[in-house]
Amino acid sequence: MEVIKQQIRKNINMREIYRYLGYGTVVPDDTITTMIEEVLTKLMQVITPKSIYKLYHCKTLNGQVILTSIDKSLDSSSMVVESKNLSDNLCSCQTVAVLAATLGIGADKLIQKYECINMAKASIAQACGAACIESYCDRMQEVICDALLAATKETYYVRPRFSPGYGDLALENQITLFDALECTKRIGLTLTDSLLMYPTKSVTAFIGLTNSYQKRVIDKCERCGYCSDGVDT
Amino acid sequence: MKLIEILGKELLFFDGGMGTLLQERGLKVGEIPETWNILHPEVIKQIHKEYLLAGSNLILANTFGVNAYKCRKLAYSVDELIAAGVRITKEAIEEVRAEFCDLGRQDVENIPMYAGLDIGSIGKLLKPLGEITFDEAYRTFQEIVIAGDRAGADFILIETVSDLYEIKAAVLAAKENSTLPVIVTMIFDEQGKLLTGGDVASAVAMLEGLGVSAIGLNCGLGPKQMEKLLPQLTQCCSLPIVINPNAGLPVVVNGQTIYNVEPDEFAKSVKTLVELGASVVGGCCGTTPAHIKRMVEVCKDSPIVPVTDKLLTVVSSYNHAVYFAQKPLIIGERINPTGKSKFKQALRDHNMEYIYKEGLVQEENGAHILDVNVGLPEIDEPQLMEEAITGIQAIIDLPLQIDTSNCEAMERGLRYYNGKPMLNSVNGKQESMQSVFPIAKKYGAVVVCLCLDENGIPETVEGRIQVAKNIVDTAAKYGIPKKNLVMDALVLTISTSKDNAKVTLETLRRLRYEMGLHTVLGVSNISFGLPERTRINTTFFTMALNNGLSAGIINPASVPMMQAYYSFNALIGEDDQCKAYIANCMQSVDGPKEETTVKNNSELSLEEAIVKGLTQSAQQATVKLLEQGIDSLTIIHENLIPALDVVGKGFEEKKMFLPQLLMSADAAKASFEAIKKVLSGQGKRSDSKGKIVIATVKGDIHDIGKNIVKTLLENYGFDMIDLGKDVAPEQILQTVQEHHIKLVGLSALMTTTVVNMEETIQLLRDNHIDCKIMVGGAVLTQEYADQIGADFYSKDAMGSVRYANELYEKGEL
Repeated sequence: MEVIKQQIRKNINMREIYRYLGYGTVVPDDTITTMIEEVLTKLMQVITPKSIYKLYHCKTLNGQVILTSIDKSLDSSSMVVESKNLSDNLCSCQTVAVLAATLGIGADKLIQKYECINMAKASIAQACGAACIESYCDRMQEVICDALLAATKETYYVRPRFSPGYGDLALENQITLFDALECTKRIGLTLTDSLLMYPTKSVTAFIGLTNSYQKRVIDKCERCGYCSDGVDT
Repeated sequence: MKLIEILGKELLFFDGGMGTLLQERGLKVGEIPETWNILHPEVIKQIHKEYLLAGSNLILANTFGVNAYKCRKLAYSVDELIAAGVRITKEAIEEVRAEFCDLGRQDVENIPMYAGLDIGSIGKLLKPLGEITFDEAYRTFQEIVIAGDRAGADFILIETVSDLYEIKAAVLAAKENSTLPVIVTMIFDEQGKLLTGGDVASAVAMLEGLGVSAIGLNCGLGPKQMEKLLPQLTQCCSLPIVINPNAGLPVVVNGQTIYNVEPDEFAKSVKTLVELGASVVGGCCGTTPAHIKRMVEVCKDSPIVPVTDKLLTVVSSYNHAVYFAQKPLIIGERINPTGKSKFKQALRDHNMEYIYKEGLVQEENGAHILDVNVGLPEIDEPQLMEEAITGIQAIIDLPLQIDTSNCEAMERGLRYYNGKPMLNSVNGKQESMQSVFPIAKKYGAVVVCLCLDENGIPETVEGRIQVAKNIVDTAAKYGIPKKNLVMDALVLTISTSKDNAKVTLETLRRLRYEMGLHTVLGVSNISFGLPERTRINTTFFTMALNNGLSAGIINPASVPMMQAYYSFNALIGEDDQCKAYIANCMQSVDGPKEETTVKNNSELSLEEAIVKGLTQSAQQATVKLLEQGIDSLTIIHENLIPALDVVGKGFEEKKMFLPQLLMSADAAKASFEAIKKVLSGQGKRSDSKGKIVIATVKGDIHDIGKNIVKTLLENYGFDMIDLGKDVAPEQILQTVQEHHIKLVGLSALMTTTVVNMEETIQLLRDNHIDCKIMVGGAVLTQEYADQIGADFYSKDAMGSVRYANELYEKGEL
């Protein structure tokens, strides 16, 4: 757990934090950057990152993505997802990882605590939490690629993560995804009736894996239809 | 023989996994396993029989995932699935008995085989952080328990739930709706933590308190990893221990999770677990009848470790336990309105934030337990106690002491508390014991017992000891052991009688060292009526600690008291390398912690302090202005608001940013607090520019944006009614009607929840409510806002301030 926390901390994109806080490309002054460091340190103490993933064979067809289990002797499950955007995202991929990751309830508690005593820190904790879970997902992508390399002796590259709610990929897919990964039992993730997740600093995503080189896409616009500068990212 | 009679006295075997076996028999992913209770009962029965023939004594009905939420999507009711599941299990037991009989086995009726109702997690997080209320969780479990009990289950297993609060709801539902033995097993990770952060000791403390019959571990880990965790359990657990491991740690092969510990290895590892203290063993994910068969063969002659009472006095929060032991504890006394006019006003105003802050400061200052008293004659104390307890435990990690003389408030506090609570208090009066002990027993509270009775506070040591003895004896009749009683020797001020301290100290000594009871004192009462009270308090505190005080109820912000505490611990050898003492010294040198660490800002004007977002300076500057005799309204309009406008303008011009805006808001708030203090001293209240209702709409759980808007509007003098997140349209309508609201602010982050925003607006319009509606949130646009019928779209937090001010100036608020 401590190792993964250090990796998350190391790979946090500070510019994302500034952006979530509405700074755009401006770098905050010393008071704020000091406060961000302080909140990040605190956040690192309270998070309990957990994740789970499964790999599937992927076929895309007319706006439909069909995911079938890699090893049928172990798991005969399959998933059919209706989404033009996702199928575009995955069209070059034979393999897909379905990932669920969470920072745990500690991040939510910390934000709530700050809301009581210091709203500026609350907004910073919110932004840091969002950057942390992204950093964690980035790290998990490396883990998945490493595992694939070890198993297949082939190098895999990732396509930009694609989550339920992006573009035309309906949130309803969360239900299928939660069942397939046993999210609640395995990593303590829960789904509300409106299909949002608790703990809130969590991500579920389809990650396309391909043997052809992908440059790391920083531009989020490929992932989702809209892009916001607010803290509620 | 009933299960409860042999549990913990002889080695018993659970069954193993069900899910994987069903998949092998054709269950598809996404298909709900429990529907097979009705669709393929013969398959389920066959699996049960295989486990029974392998030697299992406790068989779980296939009911793990059944609950009202899951059944909404199914063609079957909770009752149908559970009744069928339990029935199949019982039939399997009867058929196996018959088979044993045919095989010529003796005494077949007495072979221990029991059918268990299996209860898993609802899959929803509980409020206040999550989605469903404690009561909703309770009712969900209640339905399951009633169905299982009616179908004839022999026991209840609550398993694989990772949130202690949800487990508490399940246990209460089980105990209140059946008389069956309740066993609880949980998934801990290799560090011994639940997914929601609870440790083994906190889980054990709460569950023992609630009166379950056995506690244990299941799933998540294999037997080898559980072996490492088991000592944590045996150390603190006074109940039979259950261990149901997976067939090893999950291994990912080709992206699929498998468990690969073979039956023989599994069996040998489980045998070690039995030797270490488990008396009920079985399997979880990946285990099969072959695993169980081998396990029974290998373990069946192993003797079990007898279950002993660990005699621990312990309270717990959701994540850790606090023990009364050699090292004394600090109970923070500040959440209490007695003698505090600001606190009283906060209670009347329903200003929960004020209460939470008092808690957070005490946590910061080193308290171990927080006393929570919210009693005022004119308020609904039970309701407020429930809110305070649930609110505090959402953000503070410390165990709480529920402090009230109102029995209903007491029970509400105990019921909604997430852990094993402390209860303040009972006394030697018959009436008090009759009303307090039954609920203390039910919820497993550690009770503070005041050494007074119908005749008042005994003047002599002997008199107080007699009362204590009477309380201990009476508690025993209610099934409350000595370890769950903490005695208050009572402190009377030495200003009325010179021997008061001596009597208290000697009573303490006898309670602790002769009667073997833990003790508490409200320390500062000793100096009532005297000048320089801290001097007496500190010395008395040290003397009390030296005479057997287990926990002092004090103000942890008092530097001398905490210095005395840390010094005492260092002197009695309870502070390794004097670490805590030294840390406290460093803290004292630095002075009390301030949120904003910038110093030497005392010369700043109020405007400068607010623009820079310096809370303390803003407060000081305000006090200075007030001292100069400047009228509070003048300060607000000529210093405070203009400063906020500077910040607001900077924000809109993108020269200042959100954190700065919020820092300024907090600074302005501190300034307002200083002004309010003066106003309330003059018997006035500050003017309000009008009431605004604000909420994050139904289905949406993102509330930081809404909270930011609320903070800013408060700054500009509006009274905010914050309904929180995930708020139903009806609740918004009701509040608007009740308070004659003229402006409503709605927030939604997701496209999927903007629908509910629209619905809320529609509901308000349909009811011809004459109010303006402003909306905001990440996915909203002006166009979208127009489309759903909002009056105003606020692209950021300042936008809402401008709009509210406009309405105010037009006299529309």
